[in-house]
Amino acid sequence: MRPQDNRAWFLVLPALALLGLVGALPLLAVINYGFHDIFTLQDVFWVGPQWFADILQSDRFLASLGRSLLFSTLALGIQVPLGIGVALLLLTYGKRAVWGLMLVALPLVVPWNMIPMFWLGLIQPETGLLGPSLAAIGFDWKFTGWHTWALILVVDTWHWLGLVVVLAYAGLSAIPPAYMQAAAIDGASPWATFRFIQLPRIAGALAIVFLLRFVDSFMIYTEAFAINAGGPNDATRFLTLELGEEIKGFSYGQAAARATLYFLIVLAVVWAFVATTREREG
Amino acid sequence: MRHLGIAALAVFILLPLVQAILLSFTATLPTDAVAAGSIGLMNYGNVLAEPELRAAMLNSLIYVVLNVALCISIGLPAAYALARYRFTGDRHFLLMILAFRVTPPVVLSLPIFILFSQFGLVNSPVGIALVHCLFNLPVAIWILESFIRAVPREFDETAYLDGHTGPSFFFRHLIPQIAPGIGVAAFFCFIFSWVEVVFARILTVTGGKPITMAIQAMFSFQTDIGMVMAMTCLSLVPGVAMIWFVRNHLARGFTLRA
Repeated sequence: MRPQDNRAWFLVLPALALLGLVGALPLLAVINYGFHDIFTLQDVFWVGPQWFADILQSDRFLASLGRSLLFSTLALGIQVPLGIGVALLLLTYGKRAVWGLMLVALPLVVPWNMIPMFWLGLIQPETGLLGPSLAAIGFDWKFTGWHTWALILVVDTWHWLGLVVVLAYAGLSAIPPAYMQAAAIDGASPWATFRFIQLPRIAGALAIVFLLRFVDSFMIYTEAFAINAGGPNDATRFLTLELGEEIKGFSYGQAAARATLYFLIVLAVVWAFVATTREREG
Repeated sequence: MRHLGIAALAVFILLPLVQAILLSFTATLPTDAVAAGSIGLMNYGNVLAEPELRAAMLNSLIYVVLNVALCISIGLPAAYALARYRFTGDRHFLLMILAFRVTPPVVLSLPIFILFSQFGLVNSPVGIALVHCLFNLPVAIWILESFIRAVPREFDETAYLDGHTGPSFFFRHLIPQIAPGIGVAAFFCFIFSWVEVVFARILTVTGGKPITMAIQAMFSFQTDIGMVMAMTCLSLVPGVAMIWFVRNHLARGFTLRA
């Protein structure tokens, strides 16, 4: 058991100060802006909760919220099982698995704004490696809503699968061999081994994967904007695209109110997640 | 069967990269000297001949090195405190760093810009290095904490008995002991920082542009896509090198601490 010692705060203090500067201070500022109408930094008027009321009552906000939630659900639903599957597969390769880990980690070091460019180049009908065959089967990401969705999901999966695989593999390879031997002696099926031995042992790794993938997919902007800017017909208009429009239109008060709402949504999900995790751990 | 799965995965991951690498060696914008479609190193030559692009690479390297150094040096004491002691509010601290890790950058971009312009940190790699600590410091703390926790407490006590306390304990004993952890933390800080675009965009208005923004600026009415891809491929080199250096420790990963 770790001893209680409040002097440990001195070691935490630098981290706290830095996060206060780049996190807490801007966060307070953004909440404050959300209650003001901002023409210039000198012309600021108090409007109270008006922006919040406007946003919450608009149908467009609710529709975007629905789309973003659906996107996150799909992204997590695809990437987490797929990532665990790949990690389990890599586990059977022993020492050679490190090559697989390096492979899936590659997309993580590609600049975010170039990831959509890579894929758009790949599916370009005339010159892309996949372009002609996709065009032949009638894949039309520009004007068919669900094709755009599929493309963004594929791009997002390509980008982030590596993180899921690396963290899941880390959890799986840390399981003492004795656990697996015991399961083998008991004649446990692969599914039972996974469900009752491996899955509980990687819960901590999966929890962070879930949270990181949730926020990043829920707040997807770079890929979604570059691929179809919310189109066709607003089919991929996610929450962040609306925020981007307001910032570009210099509606800073509205943008701040919207940003505050997004932060509260994310915080609520994270808090609910942590609360259930702590409860389960007891 | 399992080889087939791995092969499919490799194709999926490598296909966009292969396309980009092919394009980077292809002349896509014909000039008097080079016909479109010819193969060669001209795109790389063009990139390296451009002073702005060279400056962008340097800017990126400066901010990312600064960010990693900040996150490790500030994260290490905090991680040590969390791994070795209980203190009033430790769980709240963990919850707070988790909250900051998951705060979407776009939420904070506007006040960060206003705040940093008052401190003169706009258009400078230092500003980007500082603000990226928002999501990297928590990751560094989680990773370092798990590595320190794996070192038995007796290790600390032996060092104390030898008369090593404070900085000398950290530098002479703890850091060599958890060197792989520092590598892994540096790796994850690197991958989240090197490729980030939201803060990098808002904090570099006129100058100090990192690679990501320099690439963005290369798109115009007549984009030389081959040159863009050459620049992108060059931007992958440090990342690939990082992956190579930490390959044997990559599998330590990090877990939720809350």
